[in-house]
Amino acid sequence: MNLIRYSYPHYRLASSALPRSPWAGLESEISRLFENVVSDYSAAVPPTRFPVDIYEDKANTYVRAELPGVNRDDINVEVTDGALTIAATRKVPAGHGEGEQSVAINRVLSLGEDVQSDKVAAAYENGVLTVTLPKREQAQPKKIAVAVK
Amino acid sequence: MSLFNTLIPSSPRPSSLRDEQRSADLVHTVKPAYEIKETPEAFGVTVHLPGVAKDGLEVTAESGQLRILGRRAWKQPEGWTALHRESAAEPFEIIFEHEHAVETDKVAAELRDGVLRLSLPKPEAIKPRRIAVN
Repeated sequence: MNLIRYSYPHYRLASSALPRSPWAGLESEISRLFENVVSDYSAAVPPTRFPVDIYEDKANTYVRAELPGVNRDDINVEVTDGALTIAATRKVPAGHGEGEQSVAINRVLSLGEDVQSDKVAAAYENGVLTVTLPKREQAQPKKIAVAVK
Repeated sequence: MSLFNTLIPSSPRPSSLRDEQRSADLVHTVKPAYEIKETPEAFGVTVHLPGVAKDGLEVTAESGQLRILGRRAWKQPEGWTALHRESAAEPFEIIFEHEHAVETDKVAAELRDGVLRLSLPKPEAIKPRRIAVN
């Protein structure tokens, strides 16, 4: 069993490479639609939580996090005990009559066991952080040629 | 003369579309997170547009409206399967109605790390003025 830690008690945890319910996609789509409608009535303040997308291909799992307006130096990506932690500090530059404000935002995603944690790479472009998590050899589908005699 | 000298954000809705045809990729847009600040001289608008590069950004000002459209620079590569999605792939769009409370030809815009900062100066006519008393 995997222990799952998370930062947003009210928010459904994104569990990455684990098998998921077939309805999970539909559920998150519906909550996203509702969020879009409800957000019209809420205060339009830049959010303190950030959306995360998870993709995979044959060799890697990719985590894309929308972190607009964060300096590269203020982003920390850590892999510990099968969990990926993305921690960032958003600094709002000092404006009229206000000093510089900083908001700490973070998220923890649980990882499957097939991630090569020593080869994790991250890139930040246009306000989106992409973390590449290579899969272990045995997790990749392997073709074994069998000679038939 | 306008009733309000301020910025009113509005979300484009299909019913409010003008006669012009919208291209197919703009049928569904999402409203970005934003913040409006006001000083005596100008409005400062900060819009979060993660994943939007300079090429994909359009800021248009016409007839009392300021429209911000941001197309995302990133497309899901072939061979990538989505396991979990929280963000949307649709372009960002938001319209601010200002009823000529903004000097549109002096708007300054800066896009950096997915954050658009707009400075919208107020016209002289609506700036607070000190009136000398003789």
